[in-house]
Amino acid sequence: MECPVQNRENADLLLNYCARRLDPETAAVLERHMEHCAACRAFGAAQRAVWEALEAWEAMPVSEEFDRRLYARIGQQERRGFWVGLVRPWWPLNLRPALSLAAASVVVVVALLVQSPQSAPGPSEVEVVEAEQVERALADLEMLRQVNLIPNAELPGVQAM
Amino acid sequence: MVAVTALEPDAELMLRVKDGDAASFALLLERHRIPVIHFLYRMVQNQAVAEELAQEVFLRIYRARLSYEPTARFTTWLFRIAMHLALNCLRDGRMERGQERLDFATEETAARQVPDRRPTVEQDLVYEVRLAEVRRAIEMLPAKQRAAVLMHKYQEMEYSQIARVLGCSGSAVKSLLFRAYETLRARLAHLA
Repeated sequence: MECPVQNRENADLLLNYCARRLDPETAAVLERHMEHCAACRAFGAAQRAVWEALEAWEAMPVSEEFDRRLYARIGQQERRGFWVGLVRPWWPLNLRPALSLAAASVVVVVALLVQSPQSAPGPSEVEVVEAEQVERALADLEMLRQVNLIPNAELPGVQAM
Repeated sequence: MVAVTALEPDAELMLRVKDGDAASFALLLERHRIPVIHFLYRMVQNQAVAEELAQEVFLRIYRARLSYEPTARFTTWLFRIAMHLALNCLRDGRMERGQERLDFATEETAARQVPDRRPTVEQDLVYEVRLAEVRRAIEMLPAKQRAAVLMHKYQEMEYSQIARVLGCSGSAVKSLLFRAYETLRARLAHLA
């Protein structure tokens, strides 16, 4: 047989041999090979040591409360399932569109709040205020010019005659 | 419709659970409670967390009963759920809360784990040291290698079933086990 240590494809033969899971015929062939193969003997001895070490690791006893806690959780789920079952027939008719509508309304309200003039004045309002002030200032200047309180040259944008 | 007579006993029981038979669920729980908890305990190395995860495993089995189809062995499905929960738990580091010390077991665990037949204190200590080494060696394996070794060693699963639980090929399982045992031989061979 091809040496299991040399050929990794056959390595599981040695693992299964050490786990005593090899059929008797294959085990006999492997034992004959191991008589002449030091590498396989060393592999087998080390693997058996691992196997025995793992066997020493006993698991802990299971809590006596395990089943009671599990059935309590199942009962809790069943009760929740009962109420969900009662509500479910109405869900597609009324609740789902109502929830969608409510979600859409929330989005619209939030969007309006974000763009609210109270939070930050819009540029158009500032521009309107400034235009009014400029017009009023110009009108005042024109009135002063007409009563000759200031010469033409001092009017902004008006050249002296 | 799957022929029930051709099914393994666990799958038959699960089909009865699907039809509302609570006694069949109790039987499945009775059969698989201990292997699942022991597998989870060796995966996360914390008994309380292992039992909590096992509760989740059986709860999921129960919740999924109505959609159950016997397309694979029941234990493959069961351990697939258990393994995923264990991997998530290891990833989240949940088992570190209240972790039992790995170097020396507590008095309580020692009392439960050490059989009375061992006569001397020295032998007790040797046993504890060996056990701590085994646990540490398993703990240091990558999670998938650890799961593969535990299923192979303690659940006595075939490579093909381990492959289905892990969701990989049979040759990938061979490779996982080869590397895992190689590491364990390096760490534990001196215990012989």
